[in-house]
Amino acid sequence: MAVLPALETRPVEESAVAVVKPPRRGVSFGRVTLYVLLGVAGVVAALPFFWMVFGAFKTGEEIRQIPPTFLPQQWTLSNFRTILDDPTLPLTTFYKNSLFVAVINVILTLFTASLLGFIFAKYRFRGRQFLFWYLMALMMVPTSVLMIPNYLILSHLGLLNNLWGLIVTALIDPFAVFVMRQFIMSVPDEQIESARIDGASEFRIYRSVVLPQVKPALATLGLLTFMFNWNAYLWPLIVLQQNDKRTIPVILTWYSTQHDSQLNLVMAASVLLVLPVLVFFLFTQRWIVTGLTLTGGK
Amino acid sequence: MFFSLLPLVWVVALSLFNYSPRREGAGIGGLGGDNPFVGLDNFKQLFDFSNPSLLSQTFQTSLKVTLIFAFIVLPLNLVITLPLAVMIESVARRLRPLLRTIFFMPVLTSAVAVAVIWQYVLNPQYGLANGLLTKITGHTQIISWLNDPSLTVLGIPVALIAITVAYLWMDIGYNLVIFIAALQGIPRSLTEASLLDGANAWQRFRFVTLPLLKPTIMLAAVLTMISSFQAFDLFQVMTKGGPDNQSRVLSLDIYENAFTFQSMGWAAAESLVLLVIVLLITLVQTRMLRTKWSY
Repeated sequence: MAVLPALETRPVEESAVAVVKPPRRGVSFGRVTLYVLLGVAGVVAALPFFWMVFGAFKTGEEIRQIPPTFLPQQWTLSNFRTILDDPTLPLTTFYKNSLFVAVINVILTLFTASLLGFIFAKYRFRGRQFLFWYLMALMMVPTSVLMIPNYLILSHLGLLNNLWGLIVTALIDPFAVFVMRQFIMSVPDEQIESARIDGASEFRIYRSVVLPQVKPALATLGLLTFMFNWNAYLWPLIVLQQNDKRTIPVILTWYSTQHDSQLNLVMAASVLLVLPVLVFFLFTQRWIVTGLTLTGGK
Repeated sequence: MFFSLLPLVWVVALSLFNYSPRREGAGIGGLGGDNPFVGLDNFKQLFDFSNPSLLSQTFQTSLKVTLIFAFIVLPLNLVITLPLAVMIESVARRLRPLLRTIFFMPVLTSAVAVAVIWQYVLNPQYGLANGLLTKITGHTQIISWLNDPSLTVLGIPVALIAITVAYLWMDIGYNLVIFIAALQGIPRSLTEASLLDGANAWQRFRFVTLPLLKPTIMLAAVLTMISSFQAFDLFQVMTKGGPDNQSRVLSLDIYENAFTFQSMGWAAAESLVLLVIVLLITLVQTRMLRTKWSY
């Protein structure tokens, strides 16, 4: 604390309790600047979203106007109708594909992560330390490194261009295992011991003793995994080569190259990709933020 | 877990061969035959600076672009997120969740959507950026942010800067919430003590908040760096590496070599270079985090 420059100006031995209240002046210049700065930053951050949403409601004619308008002069829903009714690229198919992969991957990740987390947290066996560090090291390996061999493996298994290809390669998420291990370590050993004495099988202990106590962690992890899968691009781009098999982010890029000059349609499509997730996550934000800060980000 | 060992072994093996899935090959995994073993030749070529082939030149360019990108992103990210976190924490309690949500929303948005939105913002004719510039300057502006190779600022291509802006927009929410959580963990007694000592806002930040946040900042810096070295989505969607490879990053080069040109041996060698970079950063991180922090 010796670094504090103003030590000698400390108010002398007044009743400390009285001074603890920080001096709050009414409206100071500093406060006004603070609010103005934050306001400007907030508007700048939100602007691209508004630009997308307004673009999605503009007519094809208006969106090609120079200079561009900000608010739509004539609000229209026809862009959404065009996209949803598109006979060659029905968006519902891609919703189904995306949901299928995301939901199955959430379930599998939660299962494998909690099981492995349980094993790493509560069992003593030879090579445990080594295996755990190996798993942690895997967390560091970039997608770009694994995508080439994984592609070849899927091609040998005949799982290219198949949604299951996105599932078998996501069976074990080292990050999720790490998080679950941290949480399961706090489950008291005595509870596990007494369940064992009562004759519970190891799997029963996992299901009835461990799982109920890590529900919040499971929820947070589930949300993060869902988000990660829903937004994933690089790996689905490689695995899924036929349009009708693709997930929404991949189809959006395809869409934007198809309708290069019809930005209103592209924006409507991105609204349909972004909005459901955004609305859903606005309500669950607290869980996600807690999860991220708890684990230092993903 | 054992699934993961196979790809790692395979990628190392691939990097030692001149392998393409187009050719039949021989032996295990098609390694051999007309996919010949070349030893360390791929790596020698990658770092051949005196007489580089076209492929090596592209790799070297992409490595340079990746380094530039990562080293602009990190300081800009911290310079934005740290003050922003402190500012958000010092406004009225009711406003904080709203502000946090605004800055966090892009994190939840798919990177592809982010890329598409920013393409529209930066569209030369119909985009918001040029529209605003036209309003401000009074002249019609048709700057081609993502496609004009002659545009540079301080020697950095404008296309790369434009993607950096979009990337920062998408990415700052992460560090922001991490810093906000760390700020909330600082004991009130410390800030109050400095208030009593007559420290002003800047002094409080510089001498109390900043030192206490140091471990968090280190961690956030490393995570930011690692993820920026692997950035792919925005580059692939917004520019495909163009114009003139000015925004070609390493992961994009790996992707194109492996899956567009099917030179998987070469791409595997490239990807191992990326792996080594990421591991080096991680190593530095563990070194730094092992340092004891005391106050």
